[in-house]
Amino acid sequence: MNRHSDIKKTVLRGVYEDNVGIPRSCLGKGRSRSTGVPPRPVPHREYWRRPVLVLLGLVALFGISFRLVTVDGTGPVAMQVVDSHALQFPVFPLNVLAGAQDEHIAGGARTDGLVPFSAITTGQYDAMLAHLAIPMADLFNLKVQTIVIDPGHGGIDPGATGRQGLKEKDVVLDIARRLRDKLIGSGNYRVLLTREDDRKMFLKERVAFAKENRADLFISIHINALPPGAGNLNYVETYYFGPHTDQRSLELAKEENRDSDYLMGDFREVIARIGDTLKTEESKELASSIHERLYHSLKRRNRKLLDAGSKTGPFMVLLGVDVPSVLVEVSCISNKAEETRLSTPGYRDNVANYLKSGIVEYLEQRAQRRTIERGRTQHVAKQER
Amino acid sequence: MSPSKKDNMLYVGIDLGTSRSVVSASNGNRKWVDSYVGWPKDFVAKKMLGKRVLFGSEALEHRLALDLSRPLRNGVITEGTERDEAAVHELIDHLVELAGAGPDDEVCIAVGVPAEALKVNKIAIKNAVAQHAKKLMVVSEPFSVAYGLGTLDNTMIIDIGAGTVDFCIMHGTVPAEEDQRSILFAGDYVDEQLLKLLSEKHPEADFSLNTVRRFKEKHGFVGDSKRRVKIEAPVDGKFTEFDITNEIRKACESPMPAIVETAIDLIASFDPEFQESVRNNIIVAGGGSQLTGLDSYLGEATRQFGPCNITCITDPLFAGADGALQLAMDMPEEFLEKL
Repeated sequence: MNRHSDIKKTVLRGVYEDNVGIPRSCLGKGRSRSTGVPPRPVPHREYWRRPVLVLLGLVALFGISFRLVTVDGTGPVAMQVVDSHALQFPVFPLNVLAGAQDEHIAGGARTDGLVPFSAITTGQYDAMLAHLAIPMADLFNLKVQTIVIDPGHGGIDPGATGRQGLKEKDVVLDIARRLRDKLIGSGNYRVLLTREDDRKMFLKERVAFAKENRADLFISIHINALPPGAGNLNYVETYYFGPHTDQRSLELAKEENRDSDYLMGDFREVIARIGDTLKTEESKELASSIHERLYHSLKRRNRKLLDAGSKTGPFMVLLGVDVPSVLVEVSCISNKAEETRLSTPGYRDNVANYLKSGIVEYLEQRAQRRTIERGRTQHVAKQER
Repeated sequence: MSPSKKDNMLYVGIDLGTSRSVVSASNGNRKWVDSYVGWPKDFVAKKMLGKRVLFGSEALEHRLALDLSRPLRNGVITEGTERDEAAVHELIDHLVELAGAGPDDEVCIAVGVPAEALKVNKIAIKNAVAQHAKKLMVVSEPFSVAYGLGTLDNTMIIDIGAGTVDFCIMHGTVPAEEDQRSILFAGDYVDEQLLKLLSEKHPEADFSLNTVRRFKEKHGFVGDSKRRVKIEAPVDGKFTEFDITNEIRKACESPMPAIVETAIDLIASFDPEFQESVRNNIIVAGGGSQLTGLDSYLGEATRQFGPCNITCITDPLFAGADGALQLAMDMPEEFLEKL
C-alpha cells in the first residue's frame, strides 16, 4: 500500500513537472503531422523581413527616426553599442542612432555616451554581438524550417568498424533515416539527409548540400571508436565548432576531417566564419539539448555509459556550414556490448527518438523564448505609451 | 480529495479523443460527444439551424449545411491548423459547459489527449483549455487511463482509438517518450478497410464511412465466431440484407499484426527483469477494446513471445476522462498552485 502511495506521489510530481514548464500565455501554433518532405513553407524573403521589422519596431518604440549607415563599406548597419549598462538591459540591449541627432554627433564629442556611426568598427560590432543579453536568434526572431541530417561516412569509407563487423556508415544512415521520419512526424519541418544511401561523400559536398538546401540546422551523426588500449569504454559526446578542448577531441576532429576535399583557397574563406556569434550560441544550445537527452536516455538502459560532454571541436563540416550545426558521437562501437545494441533496429530507433527529443526540445525552448520576448516587448511598449 | 482544497473548486477530467470527447466532473456530471465541430456555412444555414456552432451527432446530422471539422484526425491537430485549433477551442468550450461549472466555481481541468497530440500540440491544447481553467494539466490518454485504473507500475496500456493506437508502459513514473509508441492502424483504418471490402464485394450497394463505422461498432469481432453478421444497406433505394461476417472480421483483424508487433517490440525494449510482469499486465482500452474476442485473439497472437495476460477494460468510453478527473483531484495543493 505504501509502495503504491509512493508511486502515486512520484507520478503526480512527474505530471506537475511536465506541465509546469510550458508558459500558459504561449500563443504559438501547434505543429502538425505531415508526410513526405514538404516544400519550404515560407519564402526566403521572410528571413530579411523579420529582422528589419524588429529593428523598425525598436525604432518606433524609442520614438526616434532611423537611417541606415554603411560601416567600413561592408553593408548597412542600423544599430550600435551604447555602453555596458545598456547591454545588460533585459529587453532592448541596443540603441539606435537618430537622424535628428546627426548634427549633434557631427558637432563633436557626444554627451549621451553613444558612439557615432562613422566611428563603428567591425570590432565594436563583434563586441556588441558578443555581449548581447539575449541570443541573436531571439533578437531577430529567426525561425527554423529546414533541418539537414548528415549521416557520416558512406561508400568506400566505412567509418569505424566494430569487432563483430558492424560499420559506422550503416548504423548512422539507419539512425538518420529514422530521425528524419520522426522529425517530419513531429512538426512542420523540411528534413533532408545529405546521403540517402550507402555512398561516399566528401565533407565539402555535405556542406554544399546544406547550403543549397538553405538548411537552418545541421546535425551530423557519427559513432565513436576507441583504440584497443582505451579498454572497453563507452561514452557519448556532442560537438559544435570551436577550438579543441582536449587532445582526444583534436585527434577525433583530425580523423573526421580526413575526407574534407577542401583546397587551401577554400579554407581561407571557410576559416573567416570563425567567430560567427549567432551560429556559435545556437550551436551550443542545440548541442547541449541533444547531448543531455541522448546521454540521460541511453544511461537509463546502460549504466556503464559515460558522459564525455557537449563541447567544442575543430570539425571542418561544422565550420563549413553557415547555420547552427552539431556533430553527435552517439556511442562507441568499439565496445562489444554497444556494438550488439547498435545492431538492433529497436536500439537505433531509440537513439533516433532521443536525438529527435533533443532537437525538438531545443526548438521548443527557442519558441518559448521568442514568445516570452514578444510578451516583454509588448509590455514595455505599453509602458512607453 | 485533500481537505485543504477549496470547496468551490470544480475538478474536471476531459478525454479529448479523435472519435469521441468525454468529460467527467467532480460534481457527478459525465457526458460525451462525438468529436465533430461544425459551423453553419452561410447565413441561411445559420438561420435554419439557429446555432452558431454544432457538435457531435447533431453536427454530423446537418453536415451538408456546415463547415465540419474533426480536429484530432490521426491523433493530432491536423494540417491547416487554424480551423482545427478553433474547433478544439469550441469543443473544449462545449465540454466545460457540459461539466456544469457554476459561475463561482474555480475550475481545475486535466485533459487526456492522444499521445501524438501531446508531443506536437501540447501548447495549442493548453491554450484552448486555459481560458476555462484556473488550473490545468495535459497528459496522454493511455496515461490517464492507467492512472484511473491505478495500474501505475509494470503495466502496458494499449489504447485503441479512432486515429491512433497508443502504447504506454507504466513503470512507477510518468512515462517517458521511449515508454510510448503510436501507430496509425486504428479505428479509422478499420473503417476504411471495411468500406473497401464491402464496396468491392457489393458494388451495387451504397455504403459510406459512417455506415460501416456503425456496423463495426455494433458487430465488430476478431478471431473465430459462429455468429453471422447480417446488415441492411440500400440498393437502388431499397434496403437489402447482406452477410458481412468475413469482411467485418478481415477489417477488424487488419491492424492486429501491427498492434502485436509494436506491443512486443516495446516490451522487448523494457528492462528484461520486468518484462514478464509487463506481459502479465496488458490492459486494452479505447473504443477498439470492445471488439468481441479481442483479449483471447491478442493472447493467442502474443503467445509465441511468452504468456501474456490481456484484459479489456469494461468502460472504455469514460476510462480516460475518469482517470484525468482522478488525477486532477489527487494533485497536491502545492503543485496545483503553480499550474
